[in-house]
Amino acid sequence: MTTKRFRFVATMVITLIFLLAWVFPIVWSVLNSLKTDQDVLAYPPKLIFQPTLEAYRDVLFGSGSILPNLISSFVISIGTTVITMLMAVPAAYALARLRFRGKKFAGFYVLATQMLPPVGIIIPYFLILRNIGWIDTYQGIILIYLSFSLPFAIWLLVSYFEDIPFEMEEAAYLDGASRMRTLWRIIIPQVRGGIAVTIVFVFLNAWNEFLFAVVLSGNTVRPVTVAMFNFVSVEQTLWAKLAAVSVLAMLPVVILGIIAQKNIVKGLTVGAVKGGGRR
Amino acid sequence: MKPATATAGIATGTAASDLGRVLAQRERRFAAALLAPAFMALLATTTFPLLFLIGTSAFRMDLAMPFADGFVGLENYRTLLTDDRFWSSLLVSLVYTGATVVLQVALGLALALLVMDMKRGQGWFRVVAILPVVLSPAVVGMIWRTFMLAPEFGIVDYLAINAGLGSKNWLGDPLLAMISVIVIHTWQWTPFAFMVLLASLASLPEDIYEAARLDRASAWQRFRRITLPLLRPAIVMVVIMRTMVALTAFAAIFTVTGGGPGTATEILNLYAYRKSFTELSIGYGSALAVALLIVTLLISGVLFALRRAK
Repeated sequence: MTTKRFRFVATMVITLIFLLAWVFPIVWSVLNSLKTDQDVLAYPPKLIFQPTLEAYRDVLFGSGSILPNLISSFVISIGTTVITMLMAVPAAYALARLRFRGKKFAGFYVLATQMLPPVGIIIPYFLILRNIGWIDTYQGIILIYLSFSLPFAIWLLVSYFEDIPFEMEEAAYLDGASRMRTLWRIIIPQVRGGIAVTIVFVFLNAWNEFLFAVVLSGNTVRPVTVAMFNFVSVEQTLWAKLAAVSVLAMLPVVILGIIAQKNIVKGLTVGAVKGGGRR
Repeated sequence: MKPATATAGIATGTAASDLGRVLAQRERRFAAALLAPAFMALLATTTFPLLFLIGTSAFRMDLAMPFADGFVGLENYRTLLTDDRFWSSLLVSLVYTGATVVLQVALGLALALLVMDMKRGQGWFRVVAILPVVLSPAVVGMIWRTFMLAPEFGIVDYLAINAGLGSKNWLGDPLLAMISVIVIHTWQWTPFAFMVLLASLASLPEDIYEAARLDRASAWQRFRRITLPLLRPAIVMVVIMRTMVALTAFAAIFTVTGGGPGTATEILNLYAYRKSFTELSIGYGSALAVALLIVTLLISGVLFALRRAK
C-alpha cells in the first residue's frame, strides 16, 4: 500500500516537473512582455508586477514597428502554402492512386530530396537570386521554400489519398465523368480534412523557417523571426519589446498547433513511416 | 499498395485488351500531367542546386576578392582535410546530435511510460507537449538566450545562484555554452519523442501484458521483454528523424551563441554558413556543405541498416 502511494506521488512530481519545464519559458516570455524593462531586469525575478501593454504598443505602432515584418511573414507563409498546395495535391493523387512506370522511383525521389542540407541549397540559390535581382523579394523566398514544403505536403497528402475507397472513383468513371472531373468533384471533397491539416503544417513550417530567410531577406522583405534581432544588439537589449515580439511570433503557430492537435503526430512523422519501408 | 485502379475495374470485359492498353496509356499521361508541376519545382529547388553546389565547390569563389576567382578542381577538399576548424565542427556536430537524440529519446520514453499509467491528466500532457514543437527554433533560441540564461535575472542563472552554484556565464564558457545549446534543443524536441512514443504505447496489445502478469513477470521484465521490443520500430523512427534534423540544426544555435564562444558550438552546418555568408568564401563553403551532405548520407545509411536489421 505504501509503496503504491509512494509510486503515485513520485510519478506526479516527475510529470509535473516536465509540464512546468515545457510551459515555463513560454509563460515567462508572456509575463515579461507585459512588464516594463525595469521589471524584466529586477533581481530577484518578479512574478507579481503591474502589467502594462506598453511593449506591445511600442513594437506595433512605435518607430521601427515590426508590423511590416509580421505582414512579410504572413505573405511568405500564405504564398508558400497556396503554391505548394496547387502543386502537391495533383502530384500526391497521382502517386497514391494512378498506375504508371517509375512510380516507385518518383516516390523515392520526393523523399530523397529531403536529405540535402538546407545550407547546400541556399549557397547556390543566393548566387542565382543575386544575379537575377531576387534577393529581398517575396518570389525569391517563396521559390526556395518549395524545396522543403513540397516533399512534406506531397507525402502527407499521399497518406490521406490512400485512405479513400477505390469504388468511389470507379463509379464516377463509369458514369462517364472525365478523370479531371472525377478528381475535382469526387476525390478532393473526400480528402478535405487531410488538405486542411496539410495547409496548417505547410503554413507553420514556412512561418518558422529561419536559415533561408536570414540569407534572402533585406529591408523590404524581412519576416518577424529575422526582425527579432533588431531588439538585441551588442550595446543594448530592449527586453520587454523583445518579449512582446517573441509572443507575437509565437501566437499564430501556437493557435494552429492547438487546432491541429489531433493530427500533430501524423504531421510530424510524415514520410518517416513509409520512407525506406513499405515503398 | 493496392494494385486495383479505376482502369483495372473497367478493363475486365471481353474485348478488354485493346481498350485496356488505351486506358492504361491515358492513365500514364494523366499521371504525368499531374506530377509535372511539382516535379519541375523539386528539380529546380533541390536537384539543380545540388549540381550547382558540387560545381561551385570546385572553384575558388570569394565575394570579397572576386579578382582571385577561378577553377581549382579538388583544392577546396584538400584544404578541408587539413582544416582544424572543419574537424572541430564535425566533432561538435556529432556530440550535439548524439547528445540531443539520446536525451530526447530517453526522456521522451520515460515520460511516455509514466503518463501512460496515469488515470487522469493525460490530456494536459497532450496539449502542453504541442507548444514547444510548433515554435520557431529561432524564437526558442532567442527566449532561452535572454529570459532563461541571461546573468542574474535569467531564470536558470537565478536558480543556479539560489542553489549555491553562483552566477555562471552560460553562453560565454565553451563547455557551458555547449551544454546550453544541447539543453535548448532537448527542451524543444523531447515532446516530439514523447508524443510519438505515447501514441505507439497506446496502440500496443493489452493481452500480452495480461499474460505476462499471470506469469508473474516483474515490471522491469515486462518493460525489457515486451514494451521495448514492441516499441523498437517507433524508437528507431524517432532516432532517424531527429538525427537528420539535429545534423542540420541552425536557428537554435545561431540565435543563442552564433557558434561561439570562438567555435565551441559551431556545428558543421553553421561553419558552412559562416564560411559562405560571413567570410564570403562561397567556393570553400560549398565544399563544406558537400561534406555535410556526405556525413548525413553516411549516418542515415547506418541508421537505415540498423532499422532493417532484426
